[in-house]
Amino acid sequence: MSAVSSLRAQIEARLPAAFAAYKRPERHFILTGIPQIDLVTGGIPISALSEICGSGKTSVLVSLLSQACQEHYCALVDGRDSFDPASAGTAGVDLSRLLWIRCGKTRQDLPPLEQAFKTADILIQSGGFGLIAVDLSEFSDRLLNKVPLTTWFRFAHVVERQRTALVFVEQQPHAQSCAGLAIHLQAQPVIGPGNLFTQLEIKAEVIRTREKKPVQSIMTIFSLRSQWA
Amino acid sequence: MFTCLYVFDFPAQAALRLEPELVRERQNQVPVVLVDGPASLMRVVATNRAARDLGIEAGMTKLQAEACGPVEVKKRWTENEEAAQSALLDCAREFSPIVESTAPGTVILDLQGMERLLGPAERFVKAMALRAQDFGFALNVGVAANPDTAMYVARGLGGITIISAGEEAKRLAPLPVEVLSPSPEILETLDSWGVRNLGALAALPSVPLTERLGQEGLRLQHLARGETQRTLVPHEPAEDFIRSFEFDDPIENLESLAFILSRLVQELCAKLASWSLAASELRLKLEFESRQMQTGTDKEIYEHLWKPPLPTLDAKFLAHMAYLDLNAVTFSAPIKKVTVKVLPAKPRAIQSELFSPASPEAEQLAITLARIRGVVGSSDDSGTSCVGAPQVLDSHRPDSFTVQPFSPLSAKADGQHSPVAAFVLRRFRPVLETTVELTGHQPHLVRLWKKYRRVRAASGPWSSSGHWWNRSLAWAREEWDVALRMPSGTVLYRIYLDRKQGGWYVEGMFD
Repeated sequence: MSAVSSLRAQIEARLPAAFAAYKRPERHFILTGIPQIDLVTGGIPISALSEICGSGKTSVLVSLLSQACQEHYCALVDGRDSFDPASAGTAGVDLSRLLWIRCGKTRQDLPPLEQAFKTADILIQSGGFGLIAVDLSEFSDRLLNKVPLTTWFRFAHVVERQRTALVFVEQQPHAQSCAGLAIHLQAQPVIGPGNLFTQLEIKAEVIRTREKKPVQSIMTIFSLRSQWA
Repeated sequence: MFTCLYVFDFPAQAALRLEPELVRERQNQVPVVLVDGPASLMRVVATNRAARDLGIEAGMTKLQAEACGPVEVKKRWTENEEAAQSALLDCAREFSPIVESTAPGTVILDLQGMERLLGPAERFVKAMALRAQDFGFALNVGVAANPDTAMYVARGLGGITIISAGEEAKRLAPLPVEVLSPSPEILETLDSWGVRNLGALAALPSVPLTERLGQEGLRLQHLARGETQRTLVPHEPAEDFIRSFEFDDPIENLESLAFILSRLVQELCAKLASWSLAASELRLKLEFESRQMQTGTDKEIYEHLWKPPLPTLDAKFLAHMAYLDLNAVTFSAPIKKVTVKVLPAKPRAIQSELFSPASPEAEQLAITLARIRGVVGSSDDSGTSCVGAPQVLDSHRPDSFTVQPFSPLSAKADGQHSPVAAFVLRRFRPVLETTVELTGHQPHLVRLWKKYRRVRAASGPWSSSGHWWNRSLAWAREEWDVALRMPSGTVLYRIYLDRKQGGWYVEGMFD
């Protein structure tokens, strides 16, 4: 026993943190505003990288922005200038608290995808934004597959030290294990009476999460109404 | 007590003080001459000590000067000397409110009663010399009980000289008579008498001196004895906060411009600080060298305006903000002249609200936005900004918006934004031209991504129009929401028929 105590004392003298218990930091979330998604995920985690993919992603993103802008200043890096301020305003997004960066609009040295990544990097480093959303939906999977995994890892690593939620919106997930949350959506328009499109039925699959166990994918289905219904 | 700041070789120092490559050598290590005159007959008008050591004198032609040895030849710009004199006065004003602009390169400060604020003379003259170095000057400092003595010891002796009251005559004695700048006739007369220093001049009997040289001779003798007393003529500072610098050789790289820009901004901020003001706007004007030989007076001018989020005296921040935006611009010609002007305002302090969300820090945000503009550009072809807060315009025209400067300081939650989860439109900018086949009046096939897509269901038409009173701005369209069969499933798109142009377009998709 005394030999063990002596050995422990020697190790602690050299490596003070050797026997320190690692405390998992408490996670905070930003709600998406869609109860079905918030129920299974708890919301979009802050200080983590998340991905929202598939069809219906823009509506989920705008709902997330409308929630986030209530309490934070947010930034949207728009890879192909496809954000519609009118729809977002009607959905309740406080546009005065949203910094909108429109990539690919001028002749610059960098192509639009690299502009988007570089801008996201600048925003994360500067801090002060509760949510940074990067919309890469208009870029093909072939192009995004060329982004090295180290890039995603670096984003995930840097955002861990910030009180910022970093969300990438794409056709397919690309960040793999660097993402703390990955949601895949499949949307189907629903035709209502009078041949009006009043609903978008969305099947959401949580394909990756660090917060809820077990790790198998979780499905949920919800509907979003149109702004004119 | 009076202090004189004397910049030796002032024209040369004025030309060199803002140039980075010669800053290290401005202590007379590199021979520099300033030339002026018509291009065919340029003559030396000013030299530094290293050039004089080579035997170069004022009045020589440029070729004669260059024949004496390796020498840096620069054109004399009076604007640079005026700017240097203003900078010297601003530097002096940091230590005393009463400053006289005695001559180019010479300023005299009244430090009566300032010892209690600045400390003993030995300490504050060193601080003055160091501060002058920040402005790009190497100078001599003279301190005496009367302004003229202070000036002559600064002109005649190098470094820092402090003369106690009563010792003026003794300390002035070794200086040459030339330091008093007498007329050539008097100088010749004194030289013929063997009077070559101020001590000899002071020792002459006053009455015979007056008889031979008149009142001017008596005045010179009083100066030599250090007996004169006069009040300073205070320099009234101009209320314009503007600095400019003209390059002898037009520059093509931004790094050289950044150095000059930061020095000019630093001087302006120092002047603002002396007025207890701050910079609310920074205006930059660049003049380019004309490459057109036919019209030599043509000038390209670039102008830009920056507004920091708050009036600030942070010169580094202002210069950095300007540099980031300049980095994103391509200039077609070398830069010949840079002019910086700041708009003064009272300094403001902002107190954050207790319940408002945490926002990016104002100055850091300005730098961040400038960096982002350097990546994505400032504005698109229509002039709409690429970086900012979107604002929907009060217009029925679809996709009518503008982008305002993003400012957390002015953004206030108005409580009118209730989140509503709904599906939204994802726009194509520019809109996609398409071909639509109709069955009856209903779209049946829509050409998208080079293929015809079958319409599973269509909702419409929804007609809208506007600006009918202005033929050039009038618009009219017929919208359809169509569910198209795509490889990934059924996707909802918005298409429209432009009634004015007559073509079909895909506006966006509901995603």
